[in-house]
Amino acid sequence: MFPLFPSVLIANRGEIALRIIRTLREMGIRSVAVYSDADRAALHVRKADEAAHIGPAPSSESYLNIERILDAARHHKVTAIHPGYGFLSENARFAQACKDAGFIFIGPSPESIALMGSKTGARRVAKAGGAPIVPGTEEGLASSAEAAAFAREAGFPVMLKAVAGGGGKGMRRVDRESDLGSAFDSASSEAQRAFGDGRIYVEKLIENARHIEIQVLGDQHGNLVHLGERECSVQRRHQKVIEESPSPLVARMPGMRERMGEAALHAARAAGYFNAGTVEFLADNSGSFYFLEMNTRLQVEHPVTELVTGLDLVRLQIEIAAGARLPFTQEQIARRGAAIECRIYAEDPASNFFPSPGRIMQLAEPSGPGIRLDSGIYPGWTIPVDYDPMLAKLIAWSGTRDHAIDRMLRALGEYHIGGIKSNIPLFRTILNDSAFRAGDLDTGYLDRLLQNPATPSPPPPALAAIAALVASELNRKPAGATAGGFTSTSRWVAQGREDLLR
Amino acid sequence: MTRVIRINGEPVEPAGDATIVETEPGVWSVLTGGMSCEARVEGDEIVIGEYRFRYEIDDPRQWKRSQGSGGAHGKISITAPMPGRIVRVLAAAGELVVAGQGIVVIEAMKMQNELKAPRDGRVTAIEVREDDRVNAGAILATIE
Repeated sequence: MFPLFPSVLIANRGEIALRIIRTLREMGIRSVAVYSDADRAALHVRKADEAAHIGPAPSSESYLNIERILDAARHHKVTAIHPGYGFLSENARFAQACKDAGFIFIGPSPESIALMGSKTGARRVAKAGGAPIVPGTEEGLASSAEAAAFAREAGFPVMLKAVAGGGGKGMRRVDRESDLGSAFDSASSEAQRAFGDGRIYVEKLIENARHIEIQVLGDQHGNLVHLGERECSVQRRHQKVIEESPSPLVARMPGMRERMGEAALHAARAAGYFNAGTVEFLADNSGSFYFLEMNTRLQVEHPVTELVTGLDLVRLQIEIAAGARLPFTQEQIARRGAAIECRIYAEDPASNFFPSPGRIMQLAEPSGPGIRLDSGIYPGWTIPVDYDPMLAKLIAWSGTRDHAIDRMLRALGEYHIGGIKSNIPLFRTILNDSAFRAGDLDTGYLDRLLQNPATPSPPPPALAAIAALVASELNRKPAGATAGGFTSTSRWVAQGREDLLR
Repeated sequence: MTRVIRINGEPVEPAGDATIVETEPGVWSVLTGGMSCEARVEGDEIVIGEYRFRYEIDDPRQWKRSQGSGGAHGKISITAPMPGRIVRVLAAAGELVVAGQGIVVIEAMKMQNELKAPRDGRVTAIEVREDDRVNAGAILATIE
């Protein structure tokens, strides 16, 4: 047995920090959380073995502050640092700084991150490796005029993207030249805020494409495998909303998984890649696919792959970082059943998806057969406005895609987050939609679905009568005890009070 | 005088022959007509399954619930739907705007959202500047 780490610092927050803490605990490794002023009461701080304060609420002064994080790592005497996803996870300077300070970075080498973390660099590597790529510029652009020159030649629509991008930040679809200037400026400023790097490049937009990605895993001894695909075509504002494996397209195309897996391994090998990573492709219904980019980190949607392969990717990441060899070969990887993930956000689908921060007044979480919930919230917690509004990921597994969808619908029915608005109703709409159930997807699918909202069925009168009964009970309670949530409930509601009122 | 319970604005007779228990704070179990139902109270709404019911009670013995006075004759305020930072002001006081035209862009939770004019009119005031931090409900602009 190779030596494992006595302790790991998690340079992240929210559900992913908790996800990593859980695996660390299973491995007997001490976990060290970090937190900003806004996160003192956050769940990841409560659940970690140790916690370090790293600065004020804005992420630029806390979760993106390399020096503060390294200070915390030194103070808590950790051996290794896990970056999670987002924040510093794809920052080569951070990976290098960890190494220079004597900590093991749980991820790929700084060189691989620099090469593949830059979207334009990754395109050059993939192209050199012979993978088909989407037409676009090879470098970041000095101005919107350069984007316009490309777009005139390739034709609109085009997609502006952040060179340092990820998670849909700094991306804009542009349909006509007159929109290019303002789109360029806003994408650039968004990228600057999100990544500290405002450089933008441009690609031809492939319309009606599906987003399918391959999970890869490599050790530091040159072994590299892929763990199959995830389809993430259900997107809004270039943010993934639902992910699943197998992809309905790949499942019906003989040999497509193997071909995509090979292409992904070529790209990863060309970058000297080790640890967990994801190679993203655009695919069309004929089974053709184009390299899009590589994410040099753990993905948000990694649980989907974990459920269909039975592997713990975080555990494997830690073992790989400690120098272990991959414990299996490509042929030994077995896939079973279907998994689907819903990203639960604090946003209101009924009101243009406005973010809905605030206090969680009630929480009922789903469980039961085939259900996994990776969550970062608890009742009584106030969601800070300073960070991404993702609260949790709900994942369902079953033997077939149809059963997994039914199981997800059942779990969504058990899920209640009170006090704020969440996008749970959106998932009911999608999972009941016939095109979704048929696996008839592309990245424009969700926008089309939202443009033609089904008229909501009127609530059954019996339920309205029950609501009226509850309202009448509330009215009998003493004033001040009616809000729901944390008010103390008096069960001795005066029986006679109602008689007085009637 | 008796109470009138309104659900989504309509008077509704409460379910009869029922037993009702508050099983957790704000969570009520209702058994009626052989049916088992869970209702959750959230502010002025009652959530049952995927349905939300807004409730009001006209009770002569209690204060009447004050009705919101927003959007009264002619003048409409654009308010911040959430706490955040103003990233851009797209209209100036005195400007004529059309329904759907962007007025201010607010950033919260890493997302930029454009707040639009709810109808045609003249901007009578812009209450914020770029980079201002605002609380939920803060008036950002008024349109007449």
